[in-house]
Amino acid sequence: MTTTTLPTPARSALARILTVARLHFVNKGQIIVVPWLIMSFIFAVTLIIGWILRSSLSAADLAEAGSGMQYSGAIGYFLVYMLVIAVMAISQTFPFAQSYSATRRDFYLGTIVAFTTLSLAYSTAVTVLGWLEDLTNGWGLGVVLFSPGYLSSNLLERFYVAFVLFLFFFMMGIAVASVYVRWRVNGMLIFFASLAVVILGLVALATVTGSWGAVGAWFVAMGFLGVVSWTLVPTVLAAIVGYLLLRGATPRN
Amino acid sequence: MTAAIEATGVTRRFGSLRAVDDVTFSIEEGAICGLLGRNGAGKTTLMQLLTGQDFVSAGSISVFGQSPVENASVLQNVCFIKESQKYPEDFKVKHVLKSAPWFFQNWDADFADQLVEEFRLPQGRKIKKLSRGQLSSVGVIVGLASRAPLTIFDEPYLGLDAVARQLFYDRLLADYALHPRTVVLSTHLIDEVSNLLEHVLVIDNGRIIIDDSADNLRGSATAVVGTKAAVDEFARNRQVLHRDNIGGISSATIGTLSDDDRKAAAAAGLELSAVSLQQLIIRKTGTTEKEIEFSA
Repeated sequence: MTTTTLPTPARSALARILTVARLHFVNKGQIIVVPWLIMSFIFAVTLIIGWILRSSLSAADLAEAGSGMQYSGAIGYFLVYMLVIAVMAISQTFPFAQSYSATRRDFYLGTIVAFTTLSLAYSTAVTVLGWLEDLTNGWGLGVVLFSPGYLSSNLLERFYVAFVLFLFFFMMGIAVASVYVRWRVNGMLIFFASLAVVILGLVALATVTGSWGAVGAWFVAMGFLGVVSWTLVPTVLAAIVGYLLLRGATPRN
Repeated sequence: MTAAIEATGVTRRFGSLRAVDDVTFSIEEGAICGLLGRNGAGKTTLMQLLTGQDFVSAGSISVFGQSPVENASVLQNVCFIKESQKYPEDFKVKHVLKSAPWFFQNWDADFADQLVEEFRLPQGRKIKKLSRGQLSSVGVIVGLASRAPLTIFDEPYLGLDAVARQLFYDRLLADYALHPRTVVLSTHLIDEVSNLLEHVLVIDNGRIIIDDSADNLRGSATAVVGTKAAVDEFARNRQVLHRDNIGGISSATIGTLSDDDRKAAAAAGLELSAVSLQQLIIRKTGTTEKEIEFSA
């Protein structure tokens, strides 16, 4: 018996990876329409609250309410939503892409491309909305949604912070879901148990060595921007671990 | 003859269980091959190994001359339709039909549209809202319209009614005639597909117990019916696969018969009849008929 040549001409790696990236965007409802619908609702509620406050409070109370809102972060909602999207991409789209005969490697790289694109798009949107919010002095009502007080007024810096945080949440979702896809429920139990042990260990270490002061000092020294930049380390680690896990995963039922 | 699939000494262990146990076979290019066996026999595991979705514990698999594992240039020629296929959350039928052509170069959109209409599949409905039969028809449509050089169907028609199943067989045969390709069909409904199959692999307890052309298999056993004494006499020194006695009448499933054997049987007043593929497989795997019929 002779071996055969391949029936269809090979596609380039880039074409295959971009095809997988497209697959994540085929159902736009889930990754674009739904999160923005929910955000529109939150936005509307915030505006109404702002209007109620404005029409009932004295100037002094209003200033206090305004400072209270400085910590409201619409971006937090998007971040959590994207974590869920990432988990579903690995637990559901991965076995589906396997049925489309995509390799694990192409699927993973395509997924990274898709999520980096989403991170760019969402960071841009959040930054632009924050800029508009500042420009209109809180949409004319002094409300804070896209431009919380802890963010710098430098738009480029804001974009950077949002982008890095989106990447962090996406990669965490990918890594945790990869543990599940590889080792199922037992994997999840061991993973979260280990995580708890590691965190407890670090807390114990800091307490026993009396270095909470140093930890606090480090966060102060790093500043908000520095701490955000440091999340790139776990982000990259999660991306690597996710790949190593998925490379040996089997789509099971 | 060229082989689309060659498996050599393939074993897949899960702990101490050997789901696939030292299996060697090849599947010819351009044939429709049936992969038959009971539940848990190792069919799905074997198909997952053939498509690089699972990893062998020992042995080697070659698809179109190369290992399929993480091999994009091989896998882009393969379409594997699983009965238990998962779809992304909130996916609609139209999302599947839209994205499938990106992955399968030979995809025929007109054919897909025709099948959607024939199977009466509502395109705008969410996959998770489909009935079991409609869900199966999504897989069947992707499997047929992808025209992948190697198309593997694993129990493709769970929940499909007889009309829809016949539609699947008809479209598969007609399209296969126009666009020859290698098809592996795993199913419980052996007699329904037996006319489609050119080659039959039967797997039981992880081992291949039958690997033969469908024609050879059909001739490989005959049912002999007559009085108990006559059947006893005829069955002596012959390979008996199965034996039934009802009152004074006896029926035996006997291995391959020569022309002389047939004459001898006729002379002894015995009636000969063909054994269906399903009967034959039941006899050879030691299963009762009910088990195979109801395991689907």
